[in-house]
Amino acid sequence: MTGRANSIVPNSIVPNLIIPNSIIIVGGGASGVVLAAHLLKSPNPDLRVTLIEKRPHFGQGIAYSTLLSAHVLNVSAAGMSAYADDPGNFWRWLLERGLATPEQAPVYAPRSVYARYLKELLDELEARETGRLRLIREESLSISPTGSGVEVALANGTSVVAHLAVLATGHDEEPGAGQGHAIRMGSEADTALDPEARVLVLGTGLSMVDAFLSLEQRGHHGDIVAVSRRGLLPSPHRKGNPIKLDVADIPLGTQLSYFVGWFRNLIRENQKAGIDWRDVVDGLRPFNQKIWQNWPSSAKRRFVEHTKAWWDIHRHRMAPEVYARVTEAVQSGRIRLVAGRVVGITAGDGFTVQVQSRHTQNIETFEVARIYDCTGIARDISTTSNSVVRSLVDRGLARPDPLRLGLDVSDNCEVIAGDGTVSAKILAVGPLTRGTFFEIDAIPDIRVQCARLSRRLLG
Amino acid sequence: MLTKKGKYGLKALVHLARLPIGQLAFVGDIATGNNIPKKFLDAILVELRNAGFVQSRKGKEGGYRLARPADEIKIGHVVRVLDGPLAPIPCASRTRYQPCEDCNEATCQVRHLMLEVRQAIAEVLDQRSLAEMRDIAGDEDLSVALEIQA
Repeated sequence: MTGRANSIVPNSIVPNLIIPNSIIIVGGGASGVVLAAHLLKSPNPDLRVTLIEKRPHFGQGIAYSTLLSAHVLNVSAAGMSAYADDPGNFWRWLLERGLATPEQAPVYAPRSVYARYLKELLDELEARETGRLRLIREESLSISPTGSGVEVALANGTSVVAHLAVLATGHDEEPGAGQGHAIRMGSEADTALDPEARVLVLGTGLSMVDAFLSLEQRGHHGDIVAVSRRGLLPSPHRKGNPIKLDVADIPLGTQLSYFVGWFRNLIRENQKAGIDWRDVVDGLRPFNQKIWQNWPSSAKRRFVEHTKAWWDIHRHRMAPEVYARVTEAVQSGRIRLVAGRVVGITAGDGFTVQVQSRHTQNIETFEVARIYDCTGIARDISTTSNSVVRSLVDRGLARPDPLRLGLDVSDNCEVIAGDGTVSAKILAVGPLTRGTFFEIDAIPDIRVQCARLSRRLLG
Repeated sequence: MLTKKGKYGLKALVHLARLPIGQLAFVGDIATGNNIPKKFLDAILVELRNAGFVQSRKGKEGGYRLARPADEIKIGHVVRVLDGPLAPIPCASRTRYQPCEDCNEATCQVRHLMLEVRQAIAEVLDQRSLAEMRDIAGDEDLSVALEIQA
């Protein structure tokens, strides 16, 4: 439509801004690199993509900066290509380098290997796109709209301008407010620890599993007490084939209980036919965003409060080898899973932590040397430690989504201001857009989002 | 295929969408106003309530009303609840698949095309809200709507 309209207008009076030529991506972790790769597929010779990352290395972010070989991807290699239209890209990359063999599939590659894949991908782009791609290693402080675009202020006192900016800042680096004395694994506060010391972990999900693996690697063999509301451990992956569904099969826009009833039935019927529940959960994946977006807000809220914990342990699974190690530790008593909530922490030599059991309401006291925050990735965006996001919210240029899972954005990734206006100049991708896109933490979803956004911006 | 149940359910919802927000309607009034057998309508309204499209109140002053604004309720969402997966023929469904006795599903070209048709049905019905359907006045408006679609 736009194309046809343009062709009857002489080129000279078509405003430049119809197709944005210069785009700044704030955040050079996995989402930022994947977005840059998709944008640079455009043949437009005047395109300028600037990728800004405060860490020394691009493509790592929080997720892929771990060097621990036990920290493997939670998605098999077949699903981890950076390109939406070339799903086999990462798998071929592994095969070409002899890092996997065809008969090994499914392979859960170490995250450090994935970081290398993204680094090589970016190196190639940098070499090829000398005029079109620019990398800046610096912290971004704020984004401000200007008359013709946006200006991104950097920590070194300079600034960069472009037609538009895309936030790709990913997950928060600091523990959420109210986690008190808890620290993040691998942060500066995570100093040497007595290998016999007992530690407490807030959370029993995939982040807790990562923490356990890190502790093991460091030679720690003290007890690990892991606390979450329900004390549920994520399930393991198993080789399978997702069932085939069409959108016409799936009830949309109902209240939550109706949907959950339908989904349980679907699993039951498939299990009767000998199909693993994982294949049903994975068969639904292409529609998860659509299901979320069509729910009334009451269903979304109920899901987050009551159902998400169960959904997560079935949907976000771990490699079978990792699962075996964790369950062994649980069986031997090394890891203790507690369903309950922390009701009191007293700091002394270590910490005295009181946990109230979900089932008995009894309070149990644990003496621990350290408390790790592994409560996962969802937290209230208005308390973010990220200065760019924070300054946008503080100035009313952005606002949290109604459920406070991330920033409020349109279906087209445009950031929505405090007064409800949709910005044409400030956009967001990845986990920040969770309120609108729901499952947007993993590469298979992020790459689709980036591909769509690139097409919409650049044609 | 839209069954009688689906059609009646949509008519009942249009009836409710015409009322001022929050006002309850008697089942008897909906039934007579739209030529729907009352017992059948009772059952339909229970299903619509379970899915979260309508709310009911018991008693003398009781009745049904929409649980959400009419522009938030999509026609495709209602039809799936009442008639099951959107499908032009019974074999063209993945979850409620019923094989035909007289053909081979893998090679049946009719089924393959009908699987495509159901996508198109979903696209149309999931775009249209109850409010839009309510505001279709008659044939004239429908032709205008079809032109916009094309």
